[in-house]
Amino acid sequence: MNDDDRLLAELGEAVRAAGAVPEGFRRAGRAAFAWRTVDAELAELVESDASTGVRAAPARRTFRLAAGPLTVEVELSPDALAGQAVEGRLAGIELEEQDGTARAAAVDELGWFLFVPGPAGRFRLRLRPAGGAVVVSPWTRP
Amino acid sequence: MPSRAVAEDLGRAADGDQAAWDRLVDRFAPLIWAVCRRHRLSDADCEDVGSTVWLRLVERLGTIREPAALPGWLATTTRHECLQLMRARSRQVLTGEDDGAADPEAVTPEEWLLEQERGILLRSAFEDLGERCRRLLALLFADPPTPYAEVSATLGMPVGAIGPTRRRCLAALREHPSLSELAGSV
Repeated sequence: MNDDDRLLAELGEAVRAAGAVPEGFRRAGRAAFAWRTVDAELAELVESDASTGVRAAPARRTFRLAAGPLTVEVELSPDALAGQAVEGRLAGIELEEQDGTARAAAVDELGWFLFVPGPAGRFRLRLRPAGGAVVVSPWTRP
Repeated sequence: MPSRAVAEDLGRAADGDQAAWDRLVDRFAPLIWAVCRRHRLSDADCEDVGSTVWLRLVERLGTIREPAALPGWLATTTRHECLQLMRARSRQVLTGEDDGAADPEAVTPEEWLLEQERGILLRSAFEDLGERCRRLLALLFADPPTPYAEVSATLGMPVGAIGPTRRRCLAALREHPSLSELAGSV
């Protein structure tokens, strides 16, 4: 087998590999662009216990969102999403879902907020720090 | 398209250009799909993971500037999402970050990723070839390969011209700027 044969074979495999990708997969990729946020900082999401160890209560998941001076602890249970700003001051918060709907929740003087019911599917949180620019969390599954 | 064009498309997409984003999707979809399939996920699960990975890329469009880093980042991100999905499905008690039973690969092999990157560059160079070359090479790399008599009839090319044209087309492929980025000989 010479260099040309090898190149042709490799090219064939590469083109076939691309052909194996369903059109729906590419379509979803193109559609993801609609979720682009302009002028919103992306918060860092840190899992508390979802990724490691034994889940004592499989229906409960906690994680932390951090962006600048703001840190928010979030807890997900089957019926609700609750949380608290543990550092910084949160003026407002919205829960955004993939069907395009968004709900706002009040934030009390201790920084607590509650969404009932919680998200049905993939969601993100839009945080409004007091006196600061909007921060969005990465998209995540419940 | 060579790395420069990828960097341009990343910038354009960050500025809101859907067409630039679509080109990035076409370029990297096979890589993401291949990582999912390597974890033996179903088609439906691959689509689910894919959706998440695209969203991750969209989220970070403003911060990714180095096209050379993108395949590695996409492979790592896809692998992470595959493992997340597998863990969510598993009824086993997980003892640590990487449970051997649930994780078909302890590490993304460097070689495998390099192969994927070569594939991306080859496809990119192929797309830039003239139509006649693309049609000829497609007939020849078909599995099983198209007999020369059939190639001749399909393209209206004398059988004796097929060999030399094949050589010329592959030479043109080798000369594409994308392929100069490949390590090792092509």
